Amino acid sequence: MKMQEKHIGASMNRVDGHQKVTGAAKYSAEYELPGMSYGVLVGSTIAKGRITGLDTKAAERAPGVLAVVTHLNSPKVPGFKPVGKDPSQPATTGGPLKVFSDNEIRFNDQPIALVVADTLERAKHAARLVRAQYAKEAHQTDMKAAAKDAFLPTSAQKNPKSPMADYQRGAADALQKASLKIEQEYVIPTEMHSPMEMQSITAHWEAPDRLTLYDKTQGTIGTRRDFAREWNLPEENVKVIATFVGGAFGNALHSWPHESAAIIGAKVVNRPLKLMLTREQMFTSVGYRPYTWQKLAMSATPDGKITAISHESIGQTSTYEEFTESTLAQTRMMYQAPSLSTRYRIAALNVGTPIWMRGPGEATGAFALESAMDEMAHLLKLDPLEFRLRNYTDQDPERNRPWSTKYLKECYQMGAERIGWSQRKLEPGAVREGDWLIGYGMGVGTFGAHRGSAHVSAQLLPDGTAVLQCATTDIGPGTGTAMTQIAADALGLPPEKIRFELGQASFPQSGSQGGSSTVNTVGQAVQDACLALKDKLRELAGAGNPAFASAKKEDVALASGYLTLGSNAAARVPLADLTKQPGAALVNVESKPTGNDGQQYSMYSFSVHFAQVAVHVLTGEVRVRKLVSGADAGTIINQKTAANQMKGGAVGGIGMALMEHAVIDDRYGRYVTKDFADYHVPVQADAPAVEVFFVNQPDYHVNALGTKGIGEIATIGVAPAIANAVFNATGKRVRELPITPDKLV
Amino acid sequence: MNQFQYVRATKAQAAIDVVAKDPNAKFIAGGTNLVDLMKRGVVTPQKLVDINRLPLAKIETTGTGLRLGALALNSTVANDAQVRAQHPLLALALNAGASPQLRNMATVGGNMLQRTRCTYFYDLTMPCNKRQPGSGCGALEGINRMHAIFGASSTCIAVHPSDMSVALVALDATVLVSGPKGDRRIPFGDFHRLPGDTPEKDTNLEAGELITAVELPASPFTKHVHYQKVRERASYAFALVSAAAALDIDGNNTIKAARLALGGVAHKPWRLTAAEQVLVGKPATEESFRQAATVAMQGAKAFKHNEYKLRLAPNTLVQALKTAAAA
Amino acid sequence: MTKHPEPDGPANHDENRRTFLKQSSLFTALALVPGTVVEAAAAKLDERVADAFEKVPLSLKINGVKHKVTVEPRATLLDFLREQLHLTGTKKGCDYGQCGACTVHVDGQRVNSCLSFAVMHDGQEITTIEGLADGDKLHPMQAAFVKHDGFQCGYCTPGQIMSAVACVREGRAGSEGEIREYMSGNICRCGAYANIVAAIQDVKDGGQKV
Repeated sequence: MKMQEKHIGASMNRVDGHQKVTGAAKYSAEYELPGMSYGVLVGSTIAKGRITGLDTKAAERAPGVLAVVTHLNSPKVPGFKPVGKDPSQPATTGGPLKVFSDNEIRFNDQPIALVVADTLERAKHAARLVRAQYAKEAHQTDMKAAAKDAFLPTSAQKNPKSPMADYQRGAADALQKASLKIEQEYVIPTEMHSPMEMQSITAHWEAPDRLTLYDKTQGTIGTRRDFAREWNLPEENVKVIATFVGGAFGNALHSWPHESAAIIGAKVVNRPLKLMLTREQMFTSVGYRPYTWQKLAMSATPDGKITAISHESIGQTSTYEEFTESTLAQTRMMYQAPSLSTRYRIAALNVGTPIWMRGPGEATGAFALESAMDEMAHLLKLDPLEFRLRNYTDQDPERNRPWSTKYLKECYQMGAERIGWSQRKLEPGAVREGDWLIGYGMGVGTFGAHRGSAHVSAQLLPDGTAVLQCATTDIGPGTGTAMTQIAADALGLPPEKIRFELGQASFPQSGSQGGSSTVNTVGQAVQDACLALKDKLRELAGAGNPAFASAKKEDVALASGYLTLGSNAAARVPLADLTKQPGAALVNVESKPTGNDGQQYSMYSFSVHFAQVAVHVLTGEVRVRKLVSGADAGTIINQKTAANQMKGGAVGGIGMALMEHAVIDDRYGRYVTKDFADYHVPVQADAPAVEVFFVNQPDYHVNALGTKGIGEIATIGVAPAIANAVFNATGKRVRELPITPDKLV
Repeated sequence: MNQFQYVRATKAQAAIDVVAKDPNAKFIAGGTNLVDLMKRGVVTPQKLVDINRLPLAKIETTGTGLRLGALALNSTVANDAQVRAQHPLLALALNAGASPQLRNMATVGGNMLQRTRCTYFYDLTMPCNKRQPGSGCGALEGINRMHAIFGASSTCIAVHPSDMSVALVALDATVLVSGPKGDRRIPFGDFHRLPGDTPEKDTNLEAGELITAVELPASPFTKHVHYQKVRERASYAFALVSAAAALDIDGNNTIKAARLALGGVAHKPWRLTAAEQVLVGKPATEESFRQAATVAMQGAKAFKHNEYKLRLAPNTLVQALKTAAAA
Repeated sequence: MTKHPEPDGPANHDENRRTFLKQSSLFTALALVPGTVVEAAAAKLDERVADAFEKVPLSLKINGVKHKVTVEPRATLLDFLREQLHLTGTKKGCDYGQCGACTVHVDGQRVNSCLSFAVMHDGQEITTIEGLADGDKLHPMQAAFVKHDGFQCGYCTPGQIMSAVACVREGRAGSEGEIREYMSGNICRCGAYANIVAAIQDVKDGGQKV
């Protein structure tokens, strides 16, 4: 349906901007509740074994301490099933860690005690007084050693059609027979989401069977479900509030032990309990991008047609939970390779469970694929852009069906112009400015244009304001703003008359914010709800005005306080009349994909990133001088916030390419990178000017808005663009990220 | 964090008396490192003597040079007109350190007294002879890419994190201290220690001694100076390697005098006197700089993960000298 | 386990306090700190002395408002603002001076509030993000952050804005490069860096009083 697009596409300021710049925005550790207590977690100091003794006396006696909860005294959580105790299933399918439920240690810094006190200072101090003895067992935290025991994920063992299952098309021996080929290994180290807000929760048992959680989560509904199950409560008895989320990038897509611990602690002391993880705990306890080893082989004809690709990957997971991601998805569909195989494995280590980190597996896989594309182009003495064009696919080679939309070629061209690709020299190391070598590189990204189902309610209030509610969250992209714009157009109201409320599980339900699916899903639900509201108003007006009773809903408009009909200028009913009866002008709509577009078309967002880097000849420092990031992401709802997301994704890619690596000392199975002094994320000085462009062509196969999603493709492909630019600058190919000075000097 | 007693000193002598008598007492000034270490339980003083209100923040010219009060803030020193005119190397080094906010808190004295950022020192569960003498050195056989290539011992291979101190050792500064036994002056090069068998001691300060000032002698190094700091990101990170270079070059491009030091390579700021001598009388060219860098690296020894520093350190020094010469 | 009153509980607490006092060299301290401690000690009221050691008086001005409070010396300025005064606009992003989310102005200078103890700021003036706007009227830097979308999740934003205001006041907003360097003490993981620079340049070029 074609809407009058007045606000969609505009660079509207964020609806919550005022709250964010004044400090009024409240995050999950910032709610004031009477009788607040403070929880601090004590972590294990071994990576594997059993707790044999716990001395909590000193902590219990410390001033202000209300409780010390451990596996020895924790109340039984009714929903906790023992981990890995079903002998018919692999131990790795045990599910999330059940905190304080047994004495087993599965990773270093696993919570072994929760100290609760009346002030934060007292809780922190007392936490230091807890002593534990262990029966240590040999741990495994070294991926290089664990890789030999890597296995096919259980989900793929059970379901050969799983995207994690082995894949093969064309001739299995094509690579063996090829003469022009490359084969290389690529490594992505463990990376940490490192949102600025450390994971926080305020847990409050308002009654023995009523729980309220102010929680950092990307999915209020999932969080409610998880903790309602843990405590065997009806879902409506659990409130989850996440109005503001201080970044997450994936790490709030899972329920973590600290959340369970806070709820247990609040139960024990019978007071509201606030728990904020420390920055060290952020490294051990709330997921990460898994260390991933990849091997990619590619063959091509001398004129630059790829004949075969094989791509293998081994990612890390924990010993109690299987984490998988789509590391190999881009390889299967991006280029026209007639013969292609992928093989995905995971290896279990004594670490916490990973969780999707921005651009998730696709960003990891794209580093290998897009680096290999560059390596092959170099071998063929071809411009890497030309090489990609020669292997461009006009339909999905994996599923043999058309793309819903694909404007990647247009992105290539627009991006190449903006970065000045024509200045790139084919031979590496050819451009020098003073002590700096200059190089250009490119990388391509893609991510499924996912749309799920969501419920949205819409109500017109007597003051003329439309209030929309949805349980979705906003971790930063500007969801509330985009939804306001969509609603403004759908209702024909100015944005100031729209209030979009989110971040509460009690609102109509939606999935978690992740996988670039929020605008595709919730955005469409907002539009549908607004249309339903207009129809509801028409129906209400129709009770006293036959013109409305027989009118089509598309004909109805809201104008200057009246409900009107486009086809009948005389028909108008004051909106005030329709909103008199409380709750009359209210609809609650479920919106989900209909039809079989999803089966007929392959739906993806695409991005391309071009980087210009400078590498210091003596110190090996890399500076990204310029990035151009372009996206074929369907309709852009808000140019300003969308561009901001693209720039942010690029900065994330710079971190991935140049500095981020979490390192474990395998002797102790413990991270030696545990704060922002050891684990570097980009600072302002690392961030170059990022030029962003959008093709801005709608994809109506995804939804009626034509959106495809931005968040993931903003990062996918950035790291290889930079790595390829470093190669072009220096002739040095770095296949193990990050590209720190030690690897170039 | 443990409870501690907080006292605010208004007289230096009173503060010294307290700390001299009480091994569990510490001075606190900017707090940027001490508070961090206390939060993590690495140091657990039972008494803090707040010296921020002592009159030790002045920057003034004296008969023996430019005197920087121990409580002068890093940002104040870096922006001071006299410092910028007479000792621009110091201003460069200060501005290469930390962040603007931290430089607004950190003091001259506190910067010198920073503890190492070695991860094993910070993690109470790991061995560290500096934190807990006799427990072993976690870094020796561990993850040691940030660690020392000069002057390390089998008990400790940590590096000193200060940028300011690298410039100060190059500029022949003197540390003025007051203690229970009176005042004394310590040449900057003798202020910090190598780890030897007592890595728990970072400096030669004695119990209760308070840094009151740092003095810089008049210097010809007002133009051809540079502080080159190589980090894993463009700002706000500790050095992989840093180099301070100060040159006095005559009209014929001949080096009359040189001052060189490295950071991020040893348990103390690493002065390079032999390399300085190599440069005297030589033309200010990359070739001379490379010769000096080769001499500078004599005696360097790498561990498993910091072998790159054997290449990065001389290169950084050469780059610092090139930039200094061109300044 | 919940701490039930037990026979040795309170006694032990007192024991802790006495040990603590002993270790604290009370009498040397008296030579240095007048005020409540002295009064309490003079009255020989052990409990009051102990309280005085656990909590010390603090008087400071925050966002123009005078506060006379007592705090534990180990409370950082950040935790004091957030947990005791409920001024939660100042954020905790690392607690180790490595991210800048906790940036406030102390006597007009930007500092990391996580790395100093509240008690060290006796008599000083603190400005937090809550004190920047003039009533309902946003400070020009706040308005510029909204206009240029200088944030995403908003968590680092108060620190960024406090730092940005200082950056302009310090005269360090002369060029894009200078802004980038002098704003590097504030991490934004969402990566809104370019927009932050644009906001600062807008304010700087706009010539408004910051």
